[in-house]
Amino acid sequence: MAERFIRYVEGTSVVHKLDPRAKFFFVLSVVVCASLAYHLVLVLPLLAASLASYLAAGLPWEKVKTTWKFVLFIILFLSLLNYLFVAVLFHPQRRQLGFEQALEPGILLRVFTPVVKLLTIAVATITLVYTTPYNLYAPALGQMGVNYKTAYVLQLGFRYLPEFVSEMKKTLEAQMARGYRPRGSRNIFARILSLAPLVVPVTISATLSIYDIADAMELRGFGEEGCHTWFRRLRMGKLDKALTLASAASLTLYTLLFVLRPF
Amino acid sequence: MGSQPKPRKTALTTTSLVAMGVGTALYAAFNVFFNIFQLPGTQLVALRPSVAIPMFFGFVFGPLVGFVSGFLGNVISDAISWGGFWWNWDVGNGLLGLIPGLAVYFLSEEKRFSKPGYIASTVLAVIASIIGIGFAAFTDYIFGYGISTLEEAIYALFLPAAVTDAINGAILTPILVSAYASAVRGRARRA
Repeated sequence: MAERFIRYVEGTSVVHKLDPRAKFFFVLSVVVCASLAYHLVLVLPLLAASLASYLAAGLPWEKVKTTWKFVLFIILFLSLLNYLFVAVLFHPQRRQLGFEQALEPGILLRVFTPVVKLLTIAVATITLVYTTPYNLYAPALGQMGVNYKTAYVLQLGFRYLPEFVSEMKKTLEAQMARGYRPRGSRNIFARILSLAPLVVPVTISATLSIYDIADAMELRGFGEEGCHTWFRRLRMGKLDKALTLASAASLTLYTLLFVLRPF
Repeated sequence: MGSQPKPRKTALTTTSLVAMGVGTALYAAFNVFFNIFQLPGTQLVALRPSVAIPMFFGFVFGPLVGFVSGFLGNVISDAISWGGFWWNWDVGNGLLGLIPGLAVYFLSEEKRFSKPGYIASTVLAVIASIIGIGFAAFTDYIFGYGISTLEEAIYALFLPAAVTDAINGAILTPILVSAYASAVRGRARRA
């Protein structure tokens, strides 16, 4: 099943209990506000909100440590890369660049603001993924007013994901039993071509099955107008409404700040 | 290609919805497979041969199916691989599928699944890689996600990703289109 793959961690925290729609809207507001934030001062409250939601989720370190290793690697890599580009390679006085110029507050601000933005968005999306069961994504979208057919695409994606992963493992084993070995050539073209015996059979058999699945769904009444209900009815509590209002308020505030630019 | 129902270009038919779902699952599964089950000998230089999946789905079923397969497939595979997602790279991956899908507007069904189609799928795969990865890399710069300079967007993000995606797409997409055309013809003969 898809839960084997998706990094959802069961829990009883306040974030786990939030309505997925409120969490979706919160992540959306963090992403939009971070995109509109033009100064580090505006990004820091968003990072604080993201971190607060992450900490409130009480996710066990054992489950999230690989994610954090990846995020911290990206942060470190981008910080060094930014510093290299901003302070060394493209600094206006790069020919006579001294230690003091390389550590100017303006440069450090320019180096770290994008990295803090990225971290803010990463923390918000990590919290969403780790605290929301995958089988609530489609009902949440459906009950947010998204057309049920569109929401169902997500459900189908989760439904077939584990099947295709095991199909690929089986295909690889079957091909290897027939003597297939991916080539370790230096030639990138040869290396990509050597993957074709693995990629093509799985893709083509999956593509041909589309027509059978669509027929089966239509025979069961899928696609009829006005008759679709979601099995899981979602209800917003006081906390969900408060989070949604706070998200909407921050969206408005950051849009105004972006337009007016008071500092 | 007469045996299968023709994909409609605009309407959300059940076939196109299922194609979106299957394309999403397949793209996510391939990304996860190449990330987790690293194949011996491939040494990750090919990076994401899976980019051919949304390109192929777009080319066969139309731009909307291609876009959704790339977009949602990338959201899910990012969620699996590291536990989060970045919207602009998801949209960029969606464009990888949308652009080859434009072929349905200028190539007839017959031509799409013969030599002119294979050439078009190669060219569109390259264009899609440039536009899709360009969108992702330059929005990173425009919105200030992680990078500070245009040069970083070009040299550190755009060029490495666009070139490898273009090579992967240009090689694997026509192979998939040709295999699909043969499989459908074989099915028609058996029916």
